[in-house]
Amino acid sequence: MEKELIKFMLNGEPVEVYNDPASSLLHLLREKFSLTGTKEGCGEGECGACTVLLDDLAVNSCLIPAGKVNGRSVETIEALSKDGGVDPIQEAFVEKGAVQCGFCTPGMVMSARALLKQNPDPDPEEIKMAISGNLCRCTGYKQIEAAILLAAGKINSK
Amino acid sequence: MPTGIVESPVKIDPRVAFQSPEVWAKVTGKAIYGGDLMLPGMLYGRILRSPHPHARIKKIDIKQASGLAGVRAVLTGSSIVQKPYGIVIDDELPLAEAVVRYIGDEVAAVAAVSYEQAAEAARLIRVEYEELPAVFDPAEALKKGAPQLHAKFPGNIAWERHLERGNCDQAFREADIVVENTFTVPPIHSTYLEPTVCLAVSDPYNGLILHTAVQSPDQVRTIVARVLDLPLSKVRVIGPVMGGGFGGRVYGNLKLYIIASLLAIRTGRPIKMQLTREEEFLVGRPLIGAELKLRMAVRSDGTILAREADIITDNGAYSAQAPWVSKTLSERNDSVYQFKAIKTKVRLVYTNKVPTGQYRAYGNQAANFATESLLDMAAAKLGFDPLEIRLKNCVRAGDVTVHGLQLKSCALADCLKAAAAEIGWHNRKEGRGYGISAAIHSSGSVVFDKNFRGAAALARLELDGRVSIFSGEQDYGQGAHATFTLIAARALGIPAELITIHTRDTLASPFSIGALGMRQTTIGGNAIRLAAEQLREKIVQTAADMVNEPVIFEGGSVKSASGQVIELPAIAFRYYSLTSGLTLVGEGKYVPAESAYDKSGYGNIAVTYSFAAHAAEVEVDKLTGEIIVHRIVAAHDSGRIINHLAALGQVYGGVTQGLGMSCFEGYLFEGGRVANASLADYRIPTSLDVPAIVPLFIEQDDPEGPYGAKGLGEIVQIPVLGAIANAIADTAGVRVTDLPITAEKVFLALSGWECEA
Repeated sequence: MEKELIKFMLNGEPVEVYNDPASSLLHLLREKFSLTGTKEGCGEGECGACTVLLDDLAVNSCLIPAGKVNGRSVETIEALSKDGGVDPIQEAFVEKGAVQCGFCTPGMVMSARALLKQNPDPDPEEIKMAISGNLCRCTGYKQIEAAILLAAGKINSK
Repeated sequence: MPTGIVESPVKIDPRVAFQSPEVWAKVTGKAIYGGDLMLPGMLYGRILRSPHPHARIKKIDIKQASGLAGVRAVLTGSSIVQKPYGIVIDDELPLAEAVVRYIGDEVAAVAAVSYEQAAEAARLIRVEYEELPAVFDPAEALKKGAPQLHAKFPGNIAWERHLERGNCDQAFREADIVVENTFTVPPIHSTYLEPTVCLAVSDPYNGLILHTAVQSPDQVRTIVARVLDLPLSKVRVIGPVMGGGFGGRVYGNLKLYIIASLLAIRTGRPIKMQLTREEEFLVGRPLIGAELKLRMAVRSDGTILAREADIITDNGAYSAQAPWVSKTLSERNDSVYQFKAIKTKVRLVYTNKVPTGQYRAYGNQAANFATESLLDMAAAKLGFDPLEIRLKNCVRAGDVTVHGLQLKSCALADCLKAAAAEIGWHNRKEGRGYGISAAIHSSGSVVFDKNFRGAAALARLELDGRVSIFSGEQDYGQGAHATFTLIAARALGIPAELITIHTRDTLASPFSIGALGMRQTTIGGNAIRLAAEQLREKIVQTAADMVNEPVIFEGGSVKSASGQVIELPAIAFRYYSLTSGLTLVGEGKYVPAESAYDKSGYGNIAVTYSFAAHAAEVEVDKLTGEIIVHRIVAAHDSGRIINHLAALGQVYGGVTQGLGMSCFEGYLFEGGRVANASLADYRIPTSLDVPAIVPLFIEQDDPEGPYGAKGLGEIVQIPVLGAIANAIADTAGVRVTDLPITAEKVFLALSGWECEA
């Protein structure tokens, strides 16, 4: 439980924090930085509600030891509406009715973001694959998939 | 499972695709859920649970735990005032006192300054147990000499019901064929994605405030006040945003709330408690497991005569709503067809397992699986087309069903025809199996409390001209707020953007039964419509008094006969000024007509009824038993759809839950231990598992529902089960009668094991 200095880029800004390097990135984000948009649905890497981007890759933050983010870049859902605006992915989620209880939504949006960064023009199968680690109990995923397809179009037409 | 395509929503009407502004908070991560709440001085609570399925508590030593740094309270059954409680049967105590009855039973609770210290303290509590013989199978529990769980319930029967309508024996004598089989359904967890959390705050001025998201905050408040012996007005429930419920959170986790409250009262500090995902499975009150022995009597012309049932439901160690769920499971499905006679025996049996409760369709989905499977067996025996036998027997508008339900609107036959046409019933693909299934569900159940059948709401004109609606109904993701907004906007004739719905504070909103029994749109929505209508009248009256001439309220503004426009803020201010501080309030009281509901439960139990027919297209690998569900068509009669976008979301989500229950979900037990208490082992559908889903709405006006609408949220799950089971049997040539229908079971059936075609 020895604390260590952890330095990383968080939502585009350099941050430093003394923390137990073995505790999870999820708890670090929620407890030390009050970034509560990242949700804990299981704490075991099964539900994807805690998905954040680590160097642009979607990861379950509950499985990442805090010490492992040293020198790297972390992006959470809060980064997408930093200046009061919203991201095209978020717009598309609202437009398509992809949000019901909303608990999976931040993780879903971050998985979609990682996908569109790597593959700006995904087909439906690639979308399904990209969110297959994010459980949603409300929607049956249909409107989420439609939203991601719509978001890709929105981003590409910009 | 196959993938299928990304659906483009069908039949969407953009005029009715409204969403609550809260969606923006959710999509940006700013919505506050229970787990996000913090208060100064807050302590963390943890519960020590029984490791044994059945044991006597001989001694609890809390010395070491109490002495740990940071620990502020340790509670055991003997250190608190205990009052038995329950939802239907008072068979639980806040903390086990003498006996534990399942693995997970609450034995002691700790509050400490950090979660880790609370967890460590709970580990340091020493409990000496004397293990007792345990019983896990309800059939075993019914036998003479079986271990007994509760002294007040000899024979382990928590609740039972014997019912006969019509002359069942005679109907069976008149039958040309009789089909029978036994169907089993495991307990199913709602698996809302947000684990249950509560933050309890107690102080002498405010009393007890529980910050927790539940489907029925008012009922939770009433029970907590009763158990803790607090005045009702000194208990308040405030809901953060709710991360799903699906019926599994009508009462949330009462035990957690009571224990958190006890710790808050003991320490005088806010107490935060959260179930882990594992605890959700261990103690989270899943839908009762059931064994249904069914017989059906049918004439050779396809007329269904009667149904006999011997049903055993597995209560687990305590009861929650299981008696009510057992009742719905055992009889609601009988009103899908024109049965002449019914004989039902249902017994709810205690076992040393996780206590059960309810999920989405109150057991009606389990009954659908069994009855619709049996009906296909009858059709096969008679050489009847499964669609034709359903069309011949299904209930119609104007019918009074075998249980006395009065069907004022019913488009079930149209749903069956639409689902069959869309799936290609008469135009089948080679190598595919097709199944169809029908369902009814109460839309606005009035029988939870015979003295409280309806709902009330308030509509308040604010000084800025906006309207605030206060209702005790709950939005937990299904879109109730958006639907309520559209109803109020229509009744008032103002834009939806001017309306805000407030439902999450028991101090501010009228008492409500809560989000269950598909009450939200039908009953809650009617109360909101009435409140808005009364506010509208008051606005017109106040404006007329202001200008001293007749006025009309049209297109969002009030105009006088002479052409003056009187803005809503001016009207609000006028009344505020006249009364020195009051605002115009419309009161909506929706009290459904008294039901002719007799002691046997015969009568109209709901405001109205929703209907659905689902059809499935599947493929089965005859070598491995692998099942591929290709497509589900979901045809619904939910009256007029108020909000198409939300309605589509309900169908997609509900069908997906039905698929999960059909093909892979369900509790697994090793003795009394839950063997799959994680999301890795209790698998719910992922994006890769969901087939193509085609929602169809057969829209007809219902005379009772607001603007012709009926409920949708629960029935969406029901017919999926029968449709998939029948489609698998259609192509595999064997029938699996034990849920979930897995590749392994199909393989065994194909190999001649437990084969019942």
